[in-house]
Amino acid sequence: MMDFLASVESTEFASWLRESGSIWAYPAVLTLHTLGLGVLVGASAVLDLRLLGAASQMPLEPLRRLFPIMWAGFWVNAISGVLLFMTDATTKGTTTVFMAKLGIIVVAVIVLTTIRRSVFGHSPVSRDPSMTVKALAAASLALWLAAIITGRYMAYV
Amino acid sequence: MHETLDAFVTWLRATQVSEFIRDKPWLWPACEIAHFVGLSLLVGVIGFFDLRLLGAFRRVPLYAAWSLVPWGKLGFAIAAATGVTFFVGAPDQYVNNVAFYAKLVFLLIAGVNAAAFEIIYGARVKTSAAIDATPMAYRAIAVVSIVSWFFVIYWGRMLPFVGNAF
Repeated sequence: MMDFLASVESTEFASWLRESGSIWAYPAVLTLHTLGLGVLVGASAVLDLRLLGAASQMPLEPLRRLFPIMWAGFWVNAISGVLLFMTDATTKGTTTVFMAKLGIIVVAVIVLTTIRRSVFGHSPVSRDPSMTVKALAAASLALWLAAIITGRYMAYV
Repeated sequence: MHETLDAFVTWLRATQVSEFIRDKPWLWPACEIAHFVGLSLLVGVIGFFDLRLLGAFRRVPLYAAWSLVPWGKLGFAIAAATGVTFFVGAPDQYVNNVAFYAKLVFLLIAGVNAAAFEIIYGARVKTSAAIDATPMAYRAIAVVSIVSWFFVIYWGRMLPFVGNAF
């Protein structure tokens, strides 16, 4: 495992990302990771807040279209995340906080798809979410907060 | 000019509140986390409203989308408060950093743009049940909003790379 991480980190591409000093290398990837975070967590938070009772005059059905936006943010961050990982694989890949972050994101995405199925899976879409859906929305917000906490923590390991 | 700035930085760094921010090892990372939470809330809620102004989510009445905007303002308030904390704690990292001034310029543009929208159209939007009300002025304001917030994030991210801030 350590050999694999070391070989990832020493590829020419990973070295370029880490050491070139080009604004298009590490800084650009980090910027994409921040934008993707804002889009994914932000769009998810809009839906979660509505499900929890904010802006209750807002019809729920059109919010179905937030999901493609969330997936776009998710993929931008999955790809930029892999690139950031490559630059420091031996350090990041062996820390508990990184494993925790990945686990949190997996659960957050499962919660997201469960919300999608429960709220938008049948028509007509109800304007009043059930208690279960509200609990899922609260869990979603808490999980994104945990993802941000562990993500920020990664900068300190 | 430079001397005045240096004197200001020296004075600010010597204040008790600045020392407090630097002395507590947990405070800076905690503010970073809150800064990102605020950023997400702002991008999500204001981005959603901008998309609505651009004609997406047309079946969401404008007043209903507007009623979510206070959450975006909360996100901004969180990011602004923690941003001020960074500056007070380590002003030397920012005053000679071109990325910092670029970020401030785009913050100003985003802020004036948002205030202009609220002052000129706020009352109308609050009562607008119109499903497809997306006049040109709304679209222009939405584009300025999206572009300026993009550059706020971009230059914020560049702080450690262009200058020496983190």
